[in-house]
Amino acid sequence: MSGNANAPVRDLTAKESFKLSKFLVKWEMMLVYILILINVALIINKPGLYFSRGTIQAIIESGMDLSMLVLGMIFILMLGDIDVSCAANMILSAMVTGLMMDAGLPVILCVAGGVLTGGLCGAFNGFFVAYMKMPAVIVTIATSMLFRGIVKIVLDVNVLKNFPSFYTALAWSDIAGIPVAMIAFLLISLIFVLLLHKTTFGRRLYMIGNNPTVTTYSGINVEKTKMEVFIIMGLMAGLASIFFVGRMGGGVSSTMGTGYEMDAIAICVLGGVSTNGGKGKVYGPIIATFIMAFLIYTLGLMGVDANSRKIMTGIILIIAILIPNINREFWAGLKLKFVYNNNKNVEAINIKTQNEVKILKEEIAAIKKNADLSADKKAAKEKECLDKIATLQKRCKETTAALKTEQQEDNAAAKKRFAK
Amino acid sequence: MKKITGYKNFGLLVGLVGLLIIAAIITPSMYSPSSLISMLRNNAIFGMLAVGEMFVLITGGIDISIGSILSLAGVVSAMQMSKHMELPTVVWVAVGLGVGLICGLVNGILIGKLKIVPMIATLGTMYIFRGMSFLVSGGEWLFPHQFTESFINCAAGKTFGLYNVIWFEVIVLVLAGVFMNVFTVGRRIFAIGTNVESAHVAGINDGNIKLVAYGICGALAGLCGMLYTANYAMCSYTMGEGYEMTAIAICILGGVAITGGRATIDGVIIGNLMMSVITYFISLLPGLSVWQDAIQGAIIIVAVLINVSMIKAADKRLLKERGALI
Repeated sequence: MSGNANAPVRDLTAKESFKLSKFLVKWEMMLVYILILINVALIINKPGLYFSRGTIQAIIESGMDLSMLVLGMIFILMLGDIDVSCAANMILSAMVTGLMMDAGLPVILCVAGGVLTGGLCGAFNGFFVAYMKMPAVIVTIATSMLFRGIVKIVLDVNVLKNFPSFYTALAWSDIAGIPVAMIAFLLISLIFVLLLHKTTFGRRLYMIGNNPTVTTYSGINVEKTKMEVFIIMGLMAGLASIFFVGRMGGGVSSTMGTGYEMDAIAICVLGGVSTNGGKGKVYGPIIATFIMAFLIYTLGLMGVDANSRKIMTGIILIIAILIPNINREFWAGLKLKFVYNNNKNVEAINIKTQNEVKILKEEIAAIKKNADLSADKKAAKEKECLDKIATLQKRCKETTAALKTEQQEDNAAAKKRFAK
Repeated sequence: MKKITGYKNFGLLVGLVGLLIIAAIITPSMYSPSSLISMLRNNAIFGMLAVGEMFVLITGGIDISIGSILSLAGVVSAMQMSKHMELPTVVWVAVGLGVGLICGLVNGILIGKLKIVPMIATLGTMYIFRGMSFLVSGGEWLFPHQFTESFINCAAGKTFGLYNVIWFEVIVLVLAGVFMNVFTVGRRIFAIGTNVESAHVAGINDGNIKLVAYGICGALAGLCGMLYTANYAMCSYTMGEGYEMTAIAICILGGVAITGGRATIDGVIIGNLMMSVITYFISLLPGLSVWQDAIQGAIIIVAVLINVSMIKAADKRLLKERGALI
C-alpha cells in the first residue's frame, strides 16, 4: 500500500457544488411545501381568523410542548433504537420539580433537579440498552410503566400546582409577536444541528446507526456513545417538562402526557429520520414540528374530533415511512410483476434494448449538431441509426414473444406433471 | 431427577412455585377455589393476547397495536349485537375474529410486504385502529342491559364448573401449541425468526410467513375483544389500553426471546400464570393498588435481564459443545 505512489487518492477537499434543482426536491423542502400548503388551506378556509392577531402565535405555541422530546428522539432514532419512556420521564421530572417547589427550595435548584432527574432516568435506560444489550423497545416500555408507576405512587390522585412562574410565561408569552417558546426551541435546535452535523460525535451517531459492528471494529466505544445519547434524551425530557408544565398552565397529575412519545416519534419519522438508524437530519424534524402543530390546529378548526386526528397521525406516520420506499427499484419491481409476467429474461432483454436505443438516439442528436458534415451525409447517417433502432426493437419484440410462449409452455407442463 | 431439572422451563416453574408459596404465607385467603377461578377468568384474555404476541415475537417483530385491535373488534361485534339481537352468538365470535384478522393482515402487509419496521408500523396502526374504534362506537358505551344473555354466556357462562372464557383460552393454547410445533408453517415462523437470510435461501417466503404471524396475532386480539365485552358485559372504545404491554410482559416472563426464534407454549402458560398470581396478589394487599404499574415495569426489566443472560449462556454452551465435537 505504502509503496504504490500511483494509487488514486480521493480528493477530500472537493465539495459537491450547489444545485438548485436538487435542493428543491430535498425531503426538507418537501416538508416546507407541505407546511405552505397547510397554511394556504387554512387561509382559504378561515381568512378572517388567520390574519387576526395572535392566531399564528397560538398555533406555534400549541406545538412547542412536544419540541424538546422531538429533538432528543432524533438522536435515539439515529442509533436505530427507540425510546417510548420519554413522556413518562417528562412527567416524572415535572413531578420532582413540583415536589421540590412544595418543599420551599430555591427556584434554580428545583429546575435543575427536574432536568437532572430526566438525565438520570435516561441513564437508567441507557445502562440497560448499551451495557446489558437489551432491546430498546422492551426496556423503554418497561421503564415507561416504571416511571409513570412512580408518579402514580407519589401523587396518587393529587395535582401539583406549585411551579416556577417563568414556566407559564415561557409557554404563553411572546416578544414582538414571536413566541418565546419558539425562540427557545430554535436556539436549542441550533445546538443540536451543530452537534449532529459539525462534530465527530454526530458522525459517530451516523456510523453506529448504519453498522454498529463496523463501528466497534474501527475503535469507537459504541456502548459509551449509546449511553451518552440516552442521557441526552433524558435531559431533553427534563427540559420538555418545563415547556409541558407551562403549556398545561402549571399543573401536573399522573395521567397527563400519555401518547406524547408516539407523537414525538411520528414527527421525527415525518421529518425524514429513518427508524432503521443512520439516516436523517435535524432540519427535517424541526419543520415537521411546525407541520404537526399547524395540521392539528387546522383539523381542529375544520371540526375534526380528537380521535379522527389520531387516525390522521397514524396514517401520516405510515405514509411518511412508505414514501422513501417509492423509488426506482419499487417501480422496476412493479413493472417486472405486471408487464413482464415475473419473467426476468424478458425484463433483461427489454432493459438492454432500451439502453441501446437510448445510445443510438444520442448519436442521432450528436450527428444533427455536427456542423462539419454536409446535409445529405447527415441524413444518410441518421437513417442508418433509425434502421438500427427499428431492427433492435423488432428483435426485442420477437425474443420477448418467444420467451413468453416458452414460459407459458413450461407452466402448462408443470401443471400437467403435478396434476396427477 | 435429571429429566425434571433438564426441562427447558424449569427455572420458570421454580419461580411460579416460589411466588405461590410467598402468596400463601402473606395472603392465605387467595387459596379458595372460587378466588383462584376468578383469577384465571380475569387473566384468560391476557393469555390469549400473549399467544398472539408470541407468534409475532418469534418472527423477531413486535405488535403494539393489539390493544387497539381488541377495542375495535369488541366495539364492532358488541355494537352490531345490540342492533341485531336475533342472530346467534356464533356470528359475533366470527365477527370478532374476522375484524381482528383484517387488522392483523393490514399489519402483516405493512411489515411483511412493504418492509416497515414492526415497531413503527404497529405504532401507526395502533393510532388508526383506536381512532376507528371511536368512530364506530361514536364515543358511546354499552351497558349490561343492552347485551343478550347468550352473548354474555359466551364468556361469562360456566361449563364443567369453569368459565367459558377459560375454556376458550385452553382451546387457543392447545391449537397454538399444535400449530407451532407440528405444522410446517409454524416451524417456518421459527425459521425466519432465527435467521431470515438462511430461511430465505431455504426457499421460505418471509413476507408471507410474517403475514401469517401478524394475521394470527390480530385474529386472536379480535377474539379477545369480543370475549372482553361478553366477559364484563361492558363496551367502550377505551378498553384494552395498555394491554399490549401486559401481553409482551407475559411473553417475556415466559421465556420468549425478544430477538426472535425462541419460544415455547408451556413457557407462555407459566408466564401467564405468574402474571395473574402477581396482579391478584397485589390487588389483595391493602393500599398497594397504585403500585401495580411500577411493579409490573420492574418485573419486566428483571425478566428481560434474566432472559437475555440465559440466552447468552445457552449460546455459550452450544458453542462449547460444537467445539468439543471438532
